[in-house]
Amino acid sequence: MKIKYKTKKGLVERILLLEILKGLALTLRKMFSKSVTVQYPKEKKRLFPGFRGRHALIRDPQTGGARCVACMRCATVCPSKCISIRYSKDEVSGARKVTSYEIEALRCIYCGYCEEVCPVNAIVLTEEYEYSDYLRQPFQFDMNALLQNWDQFLAKNNIDPKAYINPFLRPRGATEGELPAGKRMAVPPDWTLEGQVVWKDGKAIPAKEAFNHREG
Amino acid sequence: MEILWILIKILIVFGVVMLHVAYATYFERKVIGHMQVRMGPMRVGPHGLLQPIADGIKLFFKEDVIPTPADKKVFYAAPLICLISAVSSLAVIPFFEGFAIANINIGLLYIFALSSLASYGVVLSGWSSNSKYSFLGGLRSSAQVISYEIAMGLSLVGVMMMAGSLNLTEIVHAQMNSSFKVYMIPQFLGFFVFVIAMLAETNRTPFDLPEAETELVAGYFTEYSGMRFALFFLAEYIGMIIMSCIGVICFLGGWSGPFHVPGLPFFWFVIKVYLFIFFYYWVRATLPRYRYDQLMALGWKVLIPLALFNIVLTGTIKSIFG
Repeated sequence: MKIKYKTKKGLVERILLLEILKGLALTLRKMFSKSVTVQYPKEKKRLFPGFRGRHALIRDPQTGGARCVACMRCATVCPSKCISIRYSKDEVSGARKVTSYEIEALRCIYCGYCEEVCPVNAIVLTEEYEYSDYLRQPFQFDMNALLQNWDQFLAKNNIDPKAYINPFLRPRGATEGELPAGKRMAVPPDWTLEGQVVWKDGKAIPAKEAFNHREG
Repeated sequence: MEILWILIKILIVFGVVMLHVAYATYFERKVIGHMQVRMGPMRVGPHGLLQPIADGIKLFFKEDVIPTPADKKVFYAAPLICLISAVSSLAVIPFFEGFAIANINIGLLYIFALSSLASYGVVLSGWSSNSKYSFLGGLRSSAQVISYEIAMGLSLVGVMMMAGSLNLTEIVHAQMNSSFKVYMIPQFLGFFVFVIAMLAETNRTPFDLPEAETELVAGYFTEYSGMRFALFFLAEYIGMIIMSCIGVICFLGGWSGPFHVPGLPFFWFVIKVYLFIFFYYWVRATLPRYRYDQLMALGWKVLIPLALFNIVLTGTIKSIFG
């Protein structure tokens, strides 16, 4: 294929510098359009549910502690291996008891697998993202810190812990029967496979239709 | 008494122009920001209005670093040459009827002389810094300024022929008495060449090869810092204002306007100068940089022949109808 570097221009186009004038018109038009800047500390972008921010262990209102049962699924699935859990076993009943639960947040890649895989919805990535620090130590979350993160998140956003749902706590596309009991929660219809929508050409299309379309 | 009045005039012009230079940087950042769908400076003061002052203070108190291999004396002198030649051009510009620090008969020639003198500052700074970026920037700048100076000088010859004078005040008067009121219409070829040469003379995009930051860091003033850097910056912006002033005086009818604004004799002049300055920014936000050979080809093969043709045309028409 022969590449044409210089497109042929008519005499009028060349004399009147039409292309340059077109460019100037574009920049002038853009000058009067609304700027896309978000003035960060003053303005903040709206966070969508399921934004993956600071880690927290959901505090169980009945026991006051974490719901974690030390099944080790999160530690196993974690791609960066930043979760470490230690537990002890009750010699009589064989039940596990968490002795320490630590997350090294500086190694976390915020993929959200841990909250997706947790059978009892113990861990969650909250919508809190302003927690930078000058030291590394504050990013080593132990169990206490994780529970406190949850309390802070609730207090800051004024959320009722019973009403809180996070799309990652109920994986999309899974039917009710496939989920463990703890994860069968009532979610808005667009979070389930049936109601999920996909944006395509500026229109909301049911996800099922979009996937079928791709296969066909 | 006469001298005192001149000194006061100098102070007024210098102060006002410095203020305008400071806010020209703000204006540039705002215009380019909005053209790129950003906001520009917003933090210092309401809508960033105090940004130029903050920048000035910062530059003033910055450490003045001088590279060891630099030729010290020339290194010190270069920014001063740039700034002084830019500032002294202001002396002959008539801002409104009867207000020019020096109303001399060779006004236009004087401005040409000083603008070529400014390129010495550029060349010397490029040479004395003893750095390859500065050196290349200086080389490019000297070549560019010399070639576009010819085109610019020739583009204004048509104006001189029509006005019959080199005195800037007389040129404006001649325009007021001409049938079109502005020389932009009969001298459209000259105006076209002038605008392009003006961009190249002041090293602005799309002809900013001397300071092409993508390849030469900052070009001839790479090694300068703090106040000395600010001097180059000032010189560049004053140069832009001077070129806009010449454009306004020679092609847009100077301080004359469609109606008289009482109490503000410089009203139309300032408006027109700002139109030119806005055009500088507009072009900068739109066009990418020329390649070096394209720059030279445009200067020597298009602009100079066009300017010469304009002179011949003007002369022919003037000798037949005038």
